[in-house]
Amino acid sequence: MLPPFDYHRPASLAEALFLLASLPGTKKILAGGTDLVPALRRGDLSPDHVVSLSQLAGMREIKEDKGFIRIGALVTFSRLAEFPLFLKGPYKLLAEAALQVGGPQVRNQGTIGGNIVNASPAGDLLPPLTALEARVRVCRQGGERVLPLAGFLTGPGRTCIHPEEILAEVDFPALPERAAGSFVKLGRRNSLAISRISLAAIVIRGEGGIVEEARLALGAVAPVPIRARKAEALLRGRKPSPALLEEAVAAISETVADSLGDRPSAPYKRAAVRGVAREALIKADPRFASGGC
Amino acid sequence: MTGQADGKMPAVSSVIGRSCPRVDGADKVTGSALFAADRRMEGMLYARVLRSTVPHAVLRRIDAEAARAVPGVAAVYTAADIPGENRVGIIVKDEPVLVDDRIRRVGDPLALVVAGNEQALAAAMSEIEVFYEELPAVFSPEEAMAGGAPAIHGQGNIQSVTRIVRGDVDSALKEARAVISRRYTTQMVEHAYLEPEAGLAAVVDGLVTIWVSTQNPHYDRREVARVLGIGQNRVRVVQSPTGGGFGGKLDISVQCLLGLAAWKTGRPVRMVYSREESMAASPKRHPCVIDYTSACDGDGRLLAVKVKIVGDTGAYASYGPATLKRAAVHATGPYEVPNVFIESYCVYTNNPTAGAMRGFGVPQVAFAHESQMDLLAGALGLDPFTIRLRNCFRPGGVTATGQRLLHSVGIKETIDRARAKAEELGMLEGKR
Amino acid sequence: MKPFRFRATVNGRPVDLPVDPRRRLLDVLREDLGLTGTKEGCGEGECGACTVLLDGRPVNACLVLAPEAAGCDITTIEGVAVEGRLHPIQEAFLEAGAVQCGYCTPGMILAAKALLDKDPRPTDQAIKTAVSGNLCRCTGYVKIVKAVRLAAARLAREEGAV
Ligand SMILES: Cc1cc2nc3c(=O)[nH]c(=O)nc-3n(C[C@H](O)[C@H](O)[C@H](O)COP(=O)(O)OP(=O)(O)OC[C@H]3O[C@@H](n4cnc5c(N)ncnc54)[C@H](O)[C@@H]3O)c2cc1C
Ligand code: FES
Ligand code: FES
Repeated sequence: MLPPFDYHRPASLAEALFLLASLPGTKKILAGGTDLVPALRRGDLSPDHVVSLSQLAGMREIKEDKGFIRIGALVTFSRLAEFPLFLKGPYKLLAEAALQVGGPQVRNQGTIGGNIVNASPAGDLLPPLTALEARVRVCRQGGERVLPLAGFLTGPGRTCIHPEEILAEVDFPALPERAAGSFVKLGRRNSLAISRISLAAIVIRGEGGIVEEARLALGAVAPVPIRARKAEALLRGRKPSPALLEEAVAAISETVADSLGDRPSAPYKRAAVRGVAREALIKADPRFASGGC
Repeated sequence: MTGQADGKMPAVSSVIGRSCPRVDGADKVTGSALFAADRRMEGMLYARVLRSTVPHAVLRRIDAEAARAVPGVAAVYTAADIPGENRVGIIVKDEPVLVDDRIRRVGDPLALVVAGNEQALAAAMSEIEVFYEELPAVFSPEEAMAGGAPAIHGQGNIQSVTRIVRGDVDSALKEARAVISRRYTTQMVEHAYLEPEAGLAAVVDGLVTIWVSTQNPHYDRREVARVLGIGQNRVRVVQSPTGGGFGGKLDISVQCLLGLAAWKTGRPVRMVYSREESMAASPKRHPCVIDYTSACDGDGRLLAVKVKIVGDTGAYASYGPATLKRAAVHATGPYEVPNVFIESYCVYTNNPTAGAMRGFGVPQVAFAHESQMDLLAGALGLDPFTIRLRNCFRPGGVTATGQRLLHSVGIKETIDRARAKAEELGMLEGKR
Repeated sequence: MKPFRFRATVNGRPVDLPVDPRRRLLDVLREDLGLTGTKEGCGEGECGACTVLLDGRPVNACLVLAPEAAGCDITTIEGVAVEGRLHPIQEAFLEAGAVQCGYCTPGMILAAKALLDKDPRPTDQAIKTAVSGNLCRCTGYVKIVKAVRLAAARLAREEGAV
C-alpha cells in the first residue's frame, strides 16, 4: 500500500486544472506512473492529492499542423516508436529514443510528458527533443504559456512548472526532407538500462552536399541535455567525411570533458562518448563513414 | 519410477537420458502453482521485521510499547520472547533470530511485528524505538584479520582456515622458467532470485507448519524446533514452489520468525520480503582477495602454485567455512600441480553475510587460476590452449588434496571441443 | 479515503468491486480477485514478473494504480488457457524447457502472447525485444526464445489448418 493520498480522476483538462488550482495541500499529477508510483512506494513523495490524467484522451494525440509537429503529453513511448511519421526521415531519432526506454511494459505506460517533467539527466526523450528545438505548452486554470524545452528544464529532476500546471503538449518545427536524425544510447545493457551517455543528432544537408546545419544534443553528461556547440559549428558548411567525423568526435568529447570536469565518471564518459558520437553521426549521415556524396 | 528391488538400475529408464515434462510445469505455466506469498489462510496475520540501520553496535533496549498499542497490532516480539535457543546457522550457530546483545551488520533483525493488516504493520514499525551504542565497525577482511580490529564475535575475526600442502613449493619456485604473481579481487554478488523470500506459518493439528520458499526444508525444521524449544516432531516445513535460490535460500530467512509468530499467536502468519529487504538481509557470494603465484618450466608445465585466499563472510559464518574450503580445494583448477601451498581464510566483518552461491567459492578461484594460465602462456609465448592441455588432469592424475582421479576426467575433451567450436565460429582468427 | 468503484473486464469476465485507490492493480488482482499467478518480484517496474495485458498491451501491474486500469480489458496468466486447454505458448514453454523455477513464467508468457497476437511471425530479435522487460534468473533466456519461436510456428500451423 502506498502512503495516504486522495485520488482524483478528472474527466477534462479544464476540470483537472480546476482541481489543481483549488485543492488544498500538496498535489502530484499522475500520467503513466512509471516514475511517480515507485517514488510513492519508496516514500520519497507523499502528496495529499494525486490527480490522474488518464481520462484526458485529447492529450494522447500526435498532429502535424502549420509547420509544427505537436505531441500530446500523454503519448506513450510505444506510441512514439510506432507512429508512422517517426519511423523514417528526420524524426526517426524520436522513435529510436522511445524504443530504447526501459522495456516494453515501461514503454506502454510511460509518457513523453512524464519524461519531460521528471527531468532526469538520463531521460531519453530529452536529447532528441533538445535537438528538435522543442517547446512545451503548459496550462493552468485561465491561461497557458509556451516556452522552449531548454528553458523549461532547470536542473536534475527540476523544471519551472508550478504544481497547479499541466504540461499539455510538446511541439517542434517541422524539418525539411533533407534532414536526417539519429539517437544512440549507451547503457549498461541493452534493455532496462538507464543512459550512461546518449547523443541525439540531426544533420540537415545543404546544396553541394555540405552540412547546412547540425544539431547535437548530449544526454546524461550534465544536469540537463546540452548541445555540443563546438562540434555543430565545426560541421557547418563542410562536407561529411571520415576525417570530418573524427574532428567532430574530438569536439564532442571536449564538450563532455568541459561539462563533467573532475567528476568520477568523467574519464569513462570522455572516452565512451567517442563511440556514441561516431555511431550517431554515421547513422544520421552515412557519408561520415565513407566520404562520397 | 521403475526402480528394482535388488537395487540394480533398470535396463531402460523412463526418465534418465530422456526429456521429460516437469512434474510442476503445468501449474507454473497456468499460474496455479502456489508460491509461498500466494498462500493465505482464514484469520491470517502479517509479519515484518525491524532491521538495524547501523553495522556494529551494542543493543541496549528496544521499546515497543507504542508499537504494541497501534490498533490492529497483534504482537511485537523481541529476543526475550524466543522460548528456545536464539542462534541459528548451518555450520556455526552464530546468528540471532532476533538480536539480543550485539548488532553485527546493517539489516540485523531486531523486532518482529505481527498485525492484522499491512497498514497497522507499517505504522507499528515506525513506532518502535531502538537504543544502542555504536561500535567501531570493520568492512575489509584484511583489516578484520589485523591485530586490534574490533572482534565481531568475541574472539579474533578469523572464522576458519584451510591449508593444503603438497610437495615443496619454495624449491620448485627456484627451478621455474616463468613465475607469475598477481592479486585478484572478486566482488560480492547478490543472487537476485526472482522470488523474494516468503512464507506462511500456522499451527495445524498441533504442528507448527511452515510453507516456505527454501532450498533446505530439513535444516529449517531443525532450526525452528531449536528456536521454539520444541521437538522436531512438532515442526513441519513444506517447501513451496521456490522462485529461484542459487544457494541463497539455503540459510534461514523467514522460517524461525514465522514459527515464533504462529506458535505464540496461535494464528496463521504470513511474511513476504520486499526486494529491498531481500537484498539487505540475504547472504551473498563471498568477495575474495586472492594472491596467486604460479610457476612453470620452459614447456609450460606447472611446477608449483602458491595461493592465499581471503574470503569476507560478513557478520555471520553461514556457509563461509565450507565455501572457503571449497575455494582452497579447487584453487589449482583442473590442472595437475606437483607442489602446492594453499591457504584460505574465512573472515568475519560487519558486511552483509556471505553464504552459498552457485559454484560455492570456485568461480572466485577460477577467475584467478585461468588468468594465471593466460599470463604464463603469454610469458612463454605459448598458445593458451596448449598450456592448458599440457597441464590438465587426466585419468590417473592426482589433485592437490591427494585424490587420484580414476574414472572420467572431462577437461581435455572440453578444451578440445571448445577450441573446435571457437574455430568453427571464427573466434580464433588473428589470435595466433 | 473513499473507495473507488473498480469496474473492468478481467480474463473476459466483468468485475465490479470497491477498491482503495492507493492500491496497485497487482494488489487488487492478487488479493481481491485471488489471481495469484501474477507475481511480485521487485515492486518497481524492473522485473516484469507482474506483467498483465491491459487492452492487449503488456504493462507492469506493480506500477499501475488500480483505478487507472478501470474500464480496461485485463488479461492475467489465469486467462491464457482456454477451458482448461493450455494455450500453444504455454505448451511450448513446457516442451522447450523454458520453465525452471516458474516465477518469471506468467509474465513471460503474457509478454510473448502480446507479441504473437500482434506479430504472428516474429524474428528472433522481435522475440528478444518482446521479453526484454522480463527478467529470468534461471533459464538464461535461450529456451524462452526457443519456446516463443515454437509457439509461433504452432500457431501459424493452426491458422493454416482453419
Ligand atoms: C523499469 C523502468 C525503466 C525505465 N527506463 C527508462 C529509460 O530507459 N529511459 C528513460 O528516459 N526513462 C526511463 N524510466 C523512467 C520513466 O519511465 C520515464 O521518465 C517516463 O517518461 C515517465 O512518464 P510517466 O508517464 O510514467 O510519468 P509519471 O510517473 O506519471 O510522472 C512523472 C513525473 O512527471 C509529472 N507529470 C507527468 N505528466 C505530467 C504532465 N502532463 N504535466 C505535469 N506534470 C506531469 C508527475 O507529477 C511526476 O512528477 C524507467 C522507469 C522504470 C520504472
Ligand atoms: S514486480 Fe512489477 S516489475 Fe517487478
Ligand atoms: S524460471 Fe526462474 S526466474 Fe525464470
